[in-house]
Amino acid sequence: MVNPQDNQGRTESAGGVTRDLASRIASAQRARDIAAKGAAAEGGRDNTGLARGLRLGSEFAAAILVGTGIGYLADLGLGTSPWGLLIMLMVGFAAGVMNVIRAVNEMNKEAQASPATGAGPEQRDDPPAETR
Amino acid sequence: MAGTDPIHQFVISDIFTVFRMGGDGTEGSGLNFAFTNSALFMVATVVAVSAYMLLSSSQRSLVPNRLQMTSEMLYEFIANMLRSSAGSEGMRFFPFVFSLFIFILVGNLLGLVPYFFTFTSHIIVTFALAMLVILVVTIYGLMRHGLGFFKLFAPSGVPGYVLPIVIPIEIVSFLSRPISLSVRLFGNILAGHITLKVFTGFVVTMGAAGWLGWLGALLPLTMGVALTALEFLVAAVQAYVFAVLTSMYLNDAVHPSH
Repeated sequence: MVNPQDNQGRTESAGGVTRDLASRIASAQRARDIAAKGAAAEGGRDNTGLARGLRLGSEFAAAILVGTGIGYLADLGLGTSPWGLLIMLMVGFAAGVMNVIRAVNEMNKEAQASPATGAGPEQRDDPPAETR
Repeated sequence: MAGTDPIHQFVISDIFTVFRMGGDGTEGSGLNFAFTNSALFMVATVVAVSAYMLLSSSQRSLVPNRLQMTSEMLYEFIANMLRSSAGSEGMRFFPFVFSLFIFILVGNLLGLVPYFFTFTSHIIVTFALAMLVILVVTIYGLMRHGLGFFKLFAPSGVPGYVLPIVIPIEIVSFLSRPISLSVRLFGNILAGHITLKVFTGFVVTMGAAGWLGWLGALLPLTMGVALTALEFLVAAVQAYVFAVLTSMYLNDAVHPSH
């Protein structure tokens, strides 16, 4: 960080001062972004394959359970057994697949975004996936 | 076998009764609202966290000492996570996400102390936390965007004729969130504690078989030590995952169209 006293003698004009200030703000923001990404990667590092697998499994199973539950309740209420259960089981299955695709997309996006920063505080040899 | 029963550690026991509702006065009738061992550890967690936070922020020095440094790091960690997944607008939920994270984290870690109760190993506790998250998301989303919040269920760019299929799928996917959120935390903690207890229970039962048994008991003992280390990791990771997913769901409330 440049000390304000250091460049008072150099930049005489007001335009120079604002330009200098703008570049200092930009560099401070860059430093902050890098720090934020470093912190996020730190969280991703202790992210085991077990945790990732459990996340995907629970996302998939939960959607099927919820779908089937809704279908069962609809059957109880409307007396349409077994159609509500069957249809909502399928819908739940689709929702589960969608949940898994979304979760994997997020993981892939974060795994790709992190190595691209390049200017991070340290180089990692494994692409960290954020969540789970 | 009571000493090595792996399920015994999850028993809820009443410490004292707060009040009773209904019933005819006989034992076991009506609703009994008691202060349980689970509640005791929740209170202990809140007290421990509050004491730590108050103590570490009492100095308020510009150059932090070690204690203040740890709480500042915790703040930065959660703030960065929330900002990256829900944007700066999501930062208004920072107290909520931070409280959830620290409550689950300290609860998990306290539960690893021998003879302590782990309240996150009961699905009703984790489900209540997950429902709190989903209700905050839904109510804030409706308050903020009105009926526009329901655009969450109809992704943009989807042609009209597939909407009748996509909307039920999206709704089921939304409703499955509290289930997967609560089952994940509960399942990890429950499974970890049972595995730990089963392996260390082997040490006791094998020891009963004489010196050869004690020799063989070295294997499950090693396993128990390794599992304890793993459980510390799981305790932290699950608290972090809960907080990350909370902020991702809050992102839906702030920006419903995705």
